[in-house]
Amino acid sequence: MTFAQLNRRTHLYLGLALLPWFFMYGISSLPFAHTPFFEQRDAAKGLPLWTLRSDRITDVRPPADDNELRAFGAALLSEAGISGTAFGTYRQNANQINVYSYSFWKSTQLKYYLDQKRVTVEDRRFRWDQFLTGMHGRGGFEQEGFVQLSWSVVVDLVCLGIIVWIASGLYMWWGLPGHRGWGWIAILAGAISFIGFTLRL
Amino acid sequence: MYLALFLAPWMVMYAVSTLVMNHRAVFVERYGSGPVPFHKERELVYDGSFSPDVDLKMISRQILTSLDLDGAHGVTRRKDGAIVINRNDLITPRRITFTPDTRTVLVEHQERRPNAFLERFHRRRGYATGYRLDTLWAVTVDAVIVAMVFWALSGLWMWWEMKVTRALGALAFLGGIGLFTLYLVLL
Repeated sequence: MTFAQLNRRTHLYLGLALLPWFFMYGISSLPFAHTPFFEQRDAAKGLPLWTLRSDRITDVRPPADDNELRAFGAALLSEAGISGTAFGTYRQNANQINVYSYSFWKSTQLKYYLDQKRVTVEDRRFRWDQFLTGMHGRGGFEQEGFVQLSWSVVVDLVCLGIIVWIASGLYMWWGLPGHRGWGWIAILAGAISFIGFTLRL
Repeated sequence: MYLALFLAPWMVMYAVSTLVMNHRAVFVERYGSGPVPFHKERELVYDGSFSPDVDLKMISRQILTSLDLDGAHGVTRRKDGAIVINRNDLITPRRITFTPDTRTVLVEHQERRPNAFLERFHRRRGYATGYRLDTLWAVTVDAVIVAMVFWALSGLWMWWEMKVTRALGALAFLGGIGLFTLYLVLL
């Protein structure tokens, strides 16, 4: 097998294997790029985004140190019967700690009020645009668990895949002498536009 | 092919910035957590005046134009009456604070960090700023979206046209679909 063949096969099979991610990142960019449209469309339904599931007093003690916030969030989630989801814990203000638990299909937020030792649990109504943006934004290595972390590894692979895809595509283009002229024009036009945006935006 | 050659810089930027965001912890360890700090650039007395019924957006545009910094920005009025303009410059974001009582304008720029720059680039989008250049950028972002979907579908079609690669291609394609479906169920 020549290098040109290997390059073409790599371009093809890599593209096919990563196609679901590539497609997802493309489609899910739409609600990001046109947020007002999707927000207005949803607002027209007149439905609340969050529904209260429970509101109660809890014995879970809040930490003084912010480094222990995540453990506190995990304890609150466990008490609410939520496990195995990705989550983040944030101090909203001096009197409130929020825990945000999310999966592709379901999101829940817990609000802990320090002065009342009270916790509310709210479920978010499913929205397709948020399903897509949630998938798009998923990543990072802060979460625990093999499946959670392996998704982030795949995100890395997709990024590297895109770079390999561009490099192999450039090599294939160079192998077509009849297309070099217009190819150069496209490359230069793209590069100049991009540099212009970088400097002027 | 020509579309891909034209949009290659956008794709490289999105790929590299995603890598950076996926490994945010590395940068938090290096720079610390919390927002990127601002540093004082200059302070001056503002001579201009505003009519009493003018809105914040007009004030911010007038101040930015006088500083030769006009461009995409957000503006708020603090409780003490000061007007804070966040100028969303891609390379050097600035915070401009106008204090009406003293008529002073404080210009601060954000510390330069490669990860923050890439993240700003990745997140730059939308048609709401009212600036022509930003609208043009938003059009290119839409073009990237359309191109990604087109490349995915046209790639599938090209693969199907090449009989010699169908078997291995199907294996790669179904493998990817299978793994993606598994994540849809588990995550």
